[in-house]
Amino acid sequence: MTRRVAVTGIGVVAPGGTGATAFWDLLSNGRTATRGITLFDPAGLRSRIAAECDFDPLAHGLDPELRDHADRYIQFAVVAAGEAVRDSGLDSGREDPWRVAVSLGSAVGGTTRLEHDYVQVSEHGRRWDVDHRAADPKLHLAFAPSTLASVVAEQFGAQGPVQTVSTGCTSGLDAVGYAFQTIEEGRADVCIAGASDSPISPITMACFDAIKATSPNNDDPEHASRPFDANRNGFVMGEGAAVLVLEEYEHARARGAEIYCEISGYATYGNAYHMTGLTSEGLEMARAIDTTLDQARLDPTLIDYVNAHGSGTRQNDRHETAAVKRSLGDHAYETPMSSIKSMVGHSLGAIGAIEVVACVLALQHQVVPPTANYETPDPECDLDYVPRTARPRKLRNVLSVGSGFGGFQSAVLLTGPDGRTR
Amino acid sequence: MSTQRPRRAAITGIGVIAPNGLRADAYWKSVKEGLGVLDRITREGCDHLPLRVAGEVRAFDAADLIEERFLVQTDRFSHFAMAATVLALDDAGLGSGDPAEPYDIGVVTAAGSGGGEFGQRELQKLWGQGSRFVGPYQSIAWFYAASTGQISIRGGFKGPCGVVASDEAGGLDAIAHAARGVRRGTGALLVGAAEAPLAPYSMVCQLGYPELSTVEEPDRAYRPFTAGACGFVPAEGGAMLVVEDENRARDRGAAVRAMVAGHSATFTGASRWERSREGLAHAIRGALDEAGCAPEEIDVVFADALGVPEADRAEALAIADALGAHGTRVPVTAPKTGMGRAYCGAPVLDTAAAVLAMEHGQVPPTPNVFDICHDLDLVMSRARPAELHTALVLSRGLMGSNAALVVRRGGDSAR
Amino acid sequence: MIIEVTVDELAKLMKKAAGVSVDPTDLAHSSDSPFGTLGLDSLGLLGIVGELENRYSKPLPPDAERCKTPREFLDLVNTTLKAGA
Repeated sequence: MTRRVAVTGIGVVAPGGTGATAFWDLLSNGRTATRGITLFDPAGLRSRIAAECDFDPLAHGLDPELRDHADRYIQFAVVAAGEAVRDSGLDSGREDPWRVAVSLGSAVGGTTRLEHDYVQVSEHGRRWDVDHRAADPKLHLAFAPSTLASVVAEQFGAQGPVQTVSTGCTSGLDAVGYAFQTIEEGRADVCIAGASDSPISPITMACFDAIKATSPNNDDPEHASRPFDANRNGFVMGEGAAVLVLEEYEHARARGAEIYCEISGYATYGNAYHMTGLTSEGLEMARAIDTTLDQARLDPTLIDYVNAHGSGTRQNDRHETAAVKRSLGDHAYETPMSSIKSMVGHSLGAIGAIEVVACVLALQHQVVPPTANYETPDPECDLDYVPRTARPRKLRNVLSVGSGFGGFQSAVLLTGPDGRTR
Repeated sequence: MSTQRPRRAAITGIGVIAPNGLRADAYWKSVKEGLGVLDRITREGCDHLPLRVAGEVRAFDAADLIEERFLVQTDRFSHFAMAATVLALDDAGLGSGDPAEPYDIGVVTAAGSGGGEFGQRELQKLWGQGSRFVGPYQSIAWFYAASTGQISIRGGFKGPCGVVASDEAGGLDAIAHAARGVRRGTGALLVGAAEAPLAPYSMVCQLGYPELSTVEEPDRAYRPFTAGACGFVPAEGGAMLVVEDENRARDRGAAVRAMVAGHSATFTGASRWERSREGLAHAIRGALDEAGCAPEEIDVVFADALGVPEADRAEALAIADALGAHGTRVPVTAPKTGMGRAYCGAPVLDTAAAVLAMEHGQVPPTPNVFDICHDLDLVMSRARPAELHTALVLSRGLMGSNAALVVRRGGDSAR
Repeated sequence: MIIEVTVDELAKLMKKAAGVSVDPTDLAHSSDSPFGTLGLDSLGLLGIVGELENRYSKPLPPDAERCKTPREFLDLVNTTLKAGA
């Protein structure tokens, strides 16, 4: 018999507020958390705006080692995981630790810390033969991407399969997807799953400047992220983390856990086209959607909401619109599809997990979060993008899709308590 | 549906770019002969650093196998991975050219260090010259997903594509991920890992690992299981494998070189080597269980062999815990002492060596190791002829993961 | 001094920024062929634009990276550089 996968806990650190309550408050009110960059001096950059987290590590009870030494993205993840585990009511003392897994995603990992120390050891980019004596002795923790899953596993006593997933901007979706597969296939009963990134740094901003992928709307940061709008001109960088406790369905029921919803499908494909470019047809993303629907044996007409990748680049939003139309057919025109990146920016690998949590909350509240800043329709993007205002709606099956550098195209399907599945 | 036998994952191609050999045959020759290639690091800008010895991939010209337009936009770690992919595809008889069924072939890599050299060059432009001097490829060369993406694009592979950004054990996790992909319905996956951690800033980052060996004599720097164990020596390079549905392989007349029979992974905390005993033993039991394999069926163990006394002891005990009395009798080897540990690439290279060892009926030796202080039958000095049907590959990572993989010889009947 | 980016120069830039080898004479003959068929992708063209902007300390118009052919690109670049001379 197939093992079903329940969501029993959620936690989030996002721009505009820490915790699921603050996060949903922002989304359901259509507020934006994008602003001029304060984390460093962005003078000279083309895009000088971002969605930053007002995150105070002191306020979250992190142990002193983590508070003083861990990278910002690790701190985000530990705080989000703490919220998710508390929310799930899981008592780690009662779990078999070998049956508890961790699957966390990050696109750029410790690069913010790596850059910070690089500046010291290279004397501001003057030396190729960098001076090791100026480096932090714990720099290896920023160098090793697996630090993310390792620290979280250690914090929560997980001894099962522990993985860091790094598939660029689909890392968050894929980390949730791998976790789903881990439980479905019986390799664990519980999985702490999600993603974290803190990419608001000179090198990451500069590398997206170089390809003009980020928005130069520096004069109006609050309205800079404009997914699906005819006047969109790139994404706005974000940061944050989201973590879910995924659990084998019967395991959750047996301990009397409250179940938010189920993860009922996951698929990913490569577009084998271009590292950054997307076709206008969206064939591979459509295939990812089709595969998740097949797994759940769900008719496309039963999709009630699509949480879009909706980065706000010209090509992405067109690509994604085409993909959803290809998979859902005429039903696409009746299905609300929104992008929360309009409010919380694009936190690279983290955003996929943040968006899955947004879907969990949408199912819980039976409300579709809006696409903020959407004003001017684009003839190439002709679906219902839920402009500016959240919308109550009967939600049973919700799809979250993502697309990332490297050609990754992923989809996660969530099914509410009264959704039709299997 | 229900009468159909479950799909099984076969290894049909091996591509190696290693310090001791470019191509699987050259690699095997060095491994079998116990050749030690650890040497002074010669990469530019590294000679002042207190890490002197490593396994460098030398005489490698990526342009022999990969078009220049792919090379300019990628780091050395992706050059290795793309080149190893060409070799693996060629070995599997899948050749080049876009596949007829693009969704039937996927790509999975493990990555533990990313495009460090490329990243350092662009950081130098940013901080030395200004943000306008950062090139367009920084956004796609430094990150951990670069190799999977480029392999997928270059080969036209649209199947499931993934990246585990892991410590060393991730190399085995990636192989298991690919095997599960096959069981779930994908025809074949290119899977493996290649690393290029020998650039100045990347090396500075590694200096913090307490397990790193900074001994300056190449033949004394990496000697696991001995009283002189003083840590591990890093290496660059790695391997890519073609993991394919067994029936698909047989239908197209490809040689099934080995079967991916079982895998399991656990976590016991970064640098908690004493605890890795329990974690590794648990992983071994899990892998045997998935493979339906009794401990006595294991004919050879490819050890993790970290070279830290506490870790070596934990590994020897874990093998005994999981395999019982057989654990002290089964031949154990660690060819990586001759070439260093290429992070996630290391256990993939070990898996390649395991397949080659089964094919040649030889347990390769453990270079530079002569006198061990643990109750293991470690193969030293020269290769030992043996009929090998089943191999166990072990790996532990510096961030706390433990993994075990069981591979079986290809010609053997299904069990 | 009037700055002009020649076809020769463009061929060198294509090699340097994008790893695309093209004979300057061939490039001159195919200056109306799309960059794509010459093996140059969007990131490669962005790299060339960045290289020229840094070399001449002058921003090129956003249209530069959207040019489809060598002729279109060189016309735009040289008009821009002359206008600022």
